[in-house]
Amino acid sequence: MLFTYKSLWGKKPRLKSSYEVVIIGGGLHGLATAYYLARDHGITDVAIVEKRYIGFGGAGRNTAIVRANQRTQYNVPLYKEALDLWPVLTKELDFNLMFNNCGNLNLMHSEAAMKAARMTIATAQFHGVESHLIDAKQAKEMVPALNISEDITFPIHGAMYHPPGGIVRHDAVVWGLAKGCAKKGVHIHQQTEATAIHTQGGKIAGVTTSQGHIKTPKVLVSAGGYSAGVINHMLGLKLPISVLTIQAMVTQPLKPLLNHVVSSGAYHCYANQTLKGEIATGAHMDPWPNYTTQTTAHYIKHQAEALSDWLPCLRGVRFMRIWGGLADMTPDMAPILEGNDPIGGFYMDCGWGYFGFKSCSAAGKYMAQFIATENCPDMLKPFNLRRYEKHQLMGETAALVSYTPDN
Amino acid sequence: MKRLRQFPTLHIDTNETRSLKYRGKSLQGFAGDTVATALYANGIRIFSRSLKYHRPRGLYNLDGESSNTCMEVDGVPNVRTENTLLKDGMVVKAQNVKGSVDHDLMAFIDKLDWLMPAGFYYKTMHKPAAVWPVAMKAIRKAAGVGTISADYKVKGRYDEIFLTADVCVIGGGAAGMMAALTAAESGVRVIVLESRPHLGGCWDYRTGAYKENKPLFARARELAGQVENTSNIRVFKQTSMVGAYNNNLITAFQVGKSNDAFTERYVEIRSKSVVVATGCIERPLIFENNERPGVMQVACAHRLARSYGLLPGEAAVFSIGHDLGLEAALDLFDLGLKIRCVADIREDGHDAGLLAALAERKIPVLKGWVAAKAHGCKQVTKVTLATLDGTVKRHIPCDLLVASAGHTPVNGPLILAQTNIAYDNHSGFFLPKKLPEKMFSAGWMTGRSHPQAIEASGQVAGLKALAAIGVTDKTAVFAAEKEAAALPGIDRGCKLVTAPVKGRKSFICFDEDTTIKNIKQAIDMGFDVPELIKRFTSAGTGPGQGGIPGHNLPLFVSKYTASASKPMPTAVRPPLVPTLLATYAGAHHHMFKRTPLHASQKKGGGIFRNIGVWQRARYFSSDFDCKDEILNVRNNVGLLDSSTLGKFRIFGPDALKALQRLYVSDMSKLKQGRIKYSAMCNDDGCVIDDGIVIKRGDNDYYVTTSSGRAGNTVEWFRYHTRYDGWQYHMVNLTDAMGVINISGPNARKVLKKIADADISNNAFPFAGYREFTVKNTIPVRAMRLGFVGELSFELHVPSSYMQSVWDMLMAAGAEFNIKNFGLEAQNVLRMEKGHIILGQESEQRTNLLDLGLGFLWDRKKTAAKTVGAVALRQAENDPGRFKLVGIRMQDDARAPRDGALIVDTHVRGYVATARKSFTTGEAVGMALVESQLSKPGSRLEIYEDECNEIRLQARVVPMPFYDPDGQRMKM
Amino acid sequence: MALTLTCPICGKRNGYEFRYGGEDKGSRPDEKGLSPADWCDYVHMNTCTAGVQKEWWFHRDGCGAWFSTYRNTLSNLEVDRPEDST
Repeated sequence: MLFTYKSLWGKKPRLKSSYEVVIIGGGLHGLATAYYLARDHGITDVAIVEKRYIGFGGAGRNTAIVRANQRTQYNVPLYKEALDLWPVLTKELDFNLMFNNCGNLNLMHSEAAMKAARMTIATAQFHGVESHLIDAKQAKEMVPALNISEDITFPIHGAMYHPPGGIVRHDAVVWGLAKGCAKKGVHIHQQTEATAIHTQGGKIAGVTTSQGHIKTPKVLVSAGGYSAGVINHMLGLKLPISVLTIQAMVTQPLKPLLNHVVSSGAYHCYANQTLKGEIATGAHMDPWPNYTTQTTAHYIKHQAEALSDWLPCLRGVRFMRIWGGLADMTPDMAPILEGNDPIGGFYMDCGWGYFGFKSCSAAGKYMAQFIATENCPDMLKPFNLRRYEKHQLMGETAALVSYTPDN
Repeated sequence: MKRLRQFPTLHIDTNETRSLKYRGKSLQGFAGDTVATALYANGIRIFSRSLKYHRPRGLYNLDGESSNTCMEVDGVPNVRTENTLLKDGMVVKAQNVKGSVDHDLMAFIDKLDWLMPAGFYYKTMHKPAAVWPVAMKAIRKAAGVGTISADYKVKGRYDEIFLTADVCVIGGGAAGMMAALTAAESGVRVIVLESRPHLGGCWDYRTGAYKENKPLFARARELAGQVENTSNIRVFKQTSMVGAYNNNLITAFQVGKSNDAFTERYVEIRSKSVVVATGCIERPLIFENNERPGVMQVACAHRLARSYGLLPGEAAVFSIGHDLGLEAALDLFDLGLKIRCVADIREDGHDAGLLAALAERKIPVLKGWVAAKAHGCKQVTKVTLATLDGTVKRHIPCDLLVASAGHTPVNGPLILAQTNIAYDNHSGFFLPKKLPEKMFSAGWMTGRSHPQAIEASGQVAGLKALAAIGVTDKTAVFAAEKEAAALPGIDRGCKLVTAPVKGRKSFICFDEDTTIKNIKQAIDMGFDVPELIKRFTSAGTGPGQGGIPGHNLPLFVSKYTASASKPMPTAVRPPLVPTLLATYAGAHHHMFKRTPLHASQKKGGGIFRNIGVWQRARYFSSDFDCKDEILNVRNNVGLLDSSTLGKFRIFGPDALKALQRLYVSDMSKLKQGRIKYSAMCNDDGCVIDDGIVIKRGDNDYYVTTSSGRAGNTVEWFRYHTRYDGWQYHMVNLTDAMGVINISGPNARKVLKKIADADISNNAFPFAGYREFTVKNTIPVRAMRLGFVGELSFELHVPSSYMQSVWDMLMAAGAEFNIKNFGLEAQNVLRMEKGHIILGQESEQRTNLLDLGLGFLWDRKKTAAKTVGAVALRQAENDPGRFKLVGIRMQDDARAPRDGALIVDTHVRGYVATARKSFTTGEAVGMALVESQLSKPGSRLEIYEDECNEIRLQARVVPMPFYDPDGQRMKM
Repeated sequence: MALTLTCPICGKRNGYEFRYGGEDKGSRPDEKGLSPADWCDYVHMNTCTAGVQKEWWFHRDGCGAWFSTYRNTLSNLEVDRPEDST
């Protein structure tokens, strides 16, 4: 038989009374960490506890863009590795993650932005990541729908073209990783809410869930937008995080129009076409913290206005669906990957803002190493929590946000 | 096709024809037709081909719940032709078709469904890896429905309107109209939104009795007349509600009539209370080929006849599960439709009067029977009926199969406004658990269908809306509720989801070609929550916004998994109706600020760029290196428009305290007549602004900020003093005052000719501040600055006088050949002097000390709690920070590009600004580098983009590069 | 979501007229003896409350006032001052 219809993740496991590692949050980072704990470190006695269902949060709400053209040398290698892992994981998991390696164009709308792009591009090239500066005409050749005239709010000067980036089917990553985890013996407990984390003598002792108590020496919180609230609520640790709602939307499906991911910092807007043909777009966020994933009238209108400017043919297309998700933003747009400080056995993987999807594979791999060896891998050292009190912010801010100098 | 004419429910005007173009032919319809009804009248039965299997699709309903009749109209893809009014001359095209819609070359794919089970692309196409890129291309080509060309320009005018209301009623059916009339009686402002071109809802075409001798359609017209004639009710027709947000913000879009000034417009309403009366849609019946052209829902068949004068077929079979099916069969029979038989899912509970009337007309009614399969490859030719257990079958030839399992409330508006809904076993409806504050529901969607009960519920909702905003008290509500409670309550609904079939060609979602079999496969693969099944199979993610599968999917999942829990609904998301981007954008326009000198700068040859919120002249040289501009300032005299500088008056008893808090310098030492350059930091010690502070009198200061910070300065000051209760005022003078910078060795000679003051170096030395007039009239605030490194005056002039002063300076300078210079020239001039521009020589994480501006910081004023001071103190001995340094290239032939990296094995910094100086001939610049590289003489390797590993060599040199003693600006 | 906020001067207005100014953390601490951790706590750390919190807002497209109010982060609606608040 060509197709079989067995459950991808086997039978539902029963919650045991103890695990070697408990991961709170069944999103991409939790699943990836569990997968690599099992794959690379032989640690399979792992429970993922998920309040809703796997991929409910940011994992299922992002717009699936992947790229490695971050701004600083600390970030580029991590995202590069994440990017390189998509085809590897597709094979390993035997699940098509549908990596569409279509390349990203990041539009630049001023000379200052072109300068900023040069720096980002030089940083990418220095680290072996392909990225080039192209002018407006070249961008138009790649994206014929682009409006490169002068009479729009932010005329297009050029673009940062990043061929290795693209789109990955986000749901597939969730399901593929869950399949991989289950196969290696990891327990995924859905509809199981962690309600307390217990410590004893400055060390992790256990986790209480809605389905029962678990004894464990190691806990990872990777609950996306809910991480900071959970960590403060359960352990009294405050984090430099603001949880904001970010929205994304799709138009009705169209025959191929956009062959690349195109984004604009000045317009706070990106657009790409999914394999189904929908134009997926989004990027702006409502600048106040909240835990709702509600969308706003203000925002869908803003998006239509922005696209009217730089992709004007889309004015004849209809929005079909808008949704919201949570982004846990740090002041320097870089994540917090920390462990054993200040509580032994306690690990956190949060603060990804809107970079959580594109980083998940590599972040999971190194967090697994961190948890297994109890030593922070070099790759993750720059993402420590203490950098904020040392006034050494990461400088990643300009990765997508517009860049205008003052005169 | 002949139209039925002359009955009161028609919405077409057969005296007015409208033509449309389809497949090269000109076809005729009538005013009031939708595009689809006009096509139907012309014998068109196949409107499109389905997304995946290219199955023929026809008219199934009339409210756009599926993409069956989505077509390209006048170049716009995915237009829902079934509810888009026909306009004369429309050009219509079928979508997703290779060949013609009747003979689609891709139709063979329908036979290959076994190759494409649920989520097949996740399990295939990646082995071997080389297959995927090829497969992906094929998928992309096959996917998508409409087409839009890259240079498409949508025609028409798009507008927007923002309204407030006391009560907003969504849905102009009987309940909505009653709610509106009830609310309006109290005099409040009421808005009614109705998506169809007319009020009336489902009563508009129904012939059932409202009261004796009064059919429902007559009552609907009566109510509509009252609503339209009530002056405090504003009715929006052809207006689809698309979004509901908490706090009762409602959005919608309105389609313009031919005499409206807009094609479509975005409507946003902030209403104090909201009544949702959106009624029900039909719940599709699922059987084999349940979407074959010739299969349609009850209301579709009924409305075709009653509203558009079209008998939907010749001989029909009905397979239904509710009385409205019986009512429609009866009415359509009377209008001339042959009815072979009515199969009713229900064994009992029928309306006795309807059954008797059907029997009278000898229409056979089969109770406990259901359609199991539609036959015919492009159009229904025969139907297989079956008993509910599937054991007995009958085949009946027909060309129309009217199929409808039941009804489902249009809960979208409630759900969007954060209402939790739950399955109700009696009605089979999802009903609200608890409505949000100040939102009420009424009418059929609450489960009642008795006409008097519908109206009573509208009345109750109208009163509740009034009570919620304090216009009436609760007693009126209680009385009305009591009256309503005496009327017939919630109907029992039919729960059947599918006919007794395996479901290989039984479609639960038409848009995505998802079958019952696909859903079973997904569940077997471990996707047991409707929301996950939706994601895995795409059911409900198409242009119909879940109208077709929205109710059946949760119902089916619950049955198939035999789960103890009740059916769980899937998410509903805005826009409830797909909406054009052009409409959402509305009257979108650009906002840019222009300086008072914009026109003359343009005339003077300025090449403009958008910088922050401003449009500014960046170049006056088309070669962009600005050599002439630069040398003219160095050797002669030039004029720059600096009007965008932020300018503020800060005054009041605590003004000094505020300055001490925000600026790093000690502002208590300010002297009148002198300027003070200083900086502001954030709480991490990072520099966020720099500018000039001037003391004009006691507790009265004038400060400048960088252009980009002007918009945030008041906010910033007030934020950092928000706990203190200090008395000080800030006036933003940025737009009230313009700024002219006159620079160059001849600057004084020019200015002297128009200033009413002694501006000699003694009377007005470097770093001085003077106020004087020009021509005894124009007040000028003048400061002697040295940003570009030459003798320089910055003149702050009231905006209305800017052009005059500029013209006078130009005239006065004519003998010296005075010239404009732009921002890029200024950029190079100041760089040669080692003066920084924030954002260029700094980034978000650069602190005051990194930039070498530590001398500005007064460490002693700790009591002021200066913003940034704590962090600066904590960071000052940190060796791990960047430092701003001057660099000079080993080879003066060219400077590196701005943004180039400083590297060894790692990145060690970057070039902020670098140019080959026309003044000195050296290739120099400024760079931010790690502190160990910051000593003069350090060798730097520079890595540019596209350098192919060829690195440039430079070394750290002292700054400034030009006139190190600063003699020229002190001339 | 459609936030409205009540400005003490202008009344109830559309939320997009305002700029969020952070959780209410009290007035600036004294500089003396302030450890980097304390300062970081004041400047960067948030409680990320899921529920009602007191917070600062600036009426940017209005009167220019900073004011504090209460908002439920689970509904994103302004709420009355809770009884147990300080």
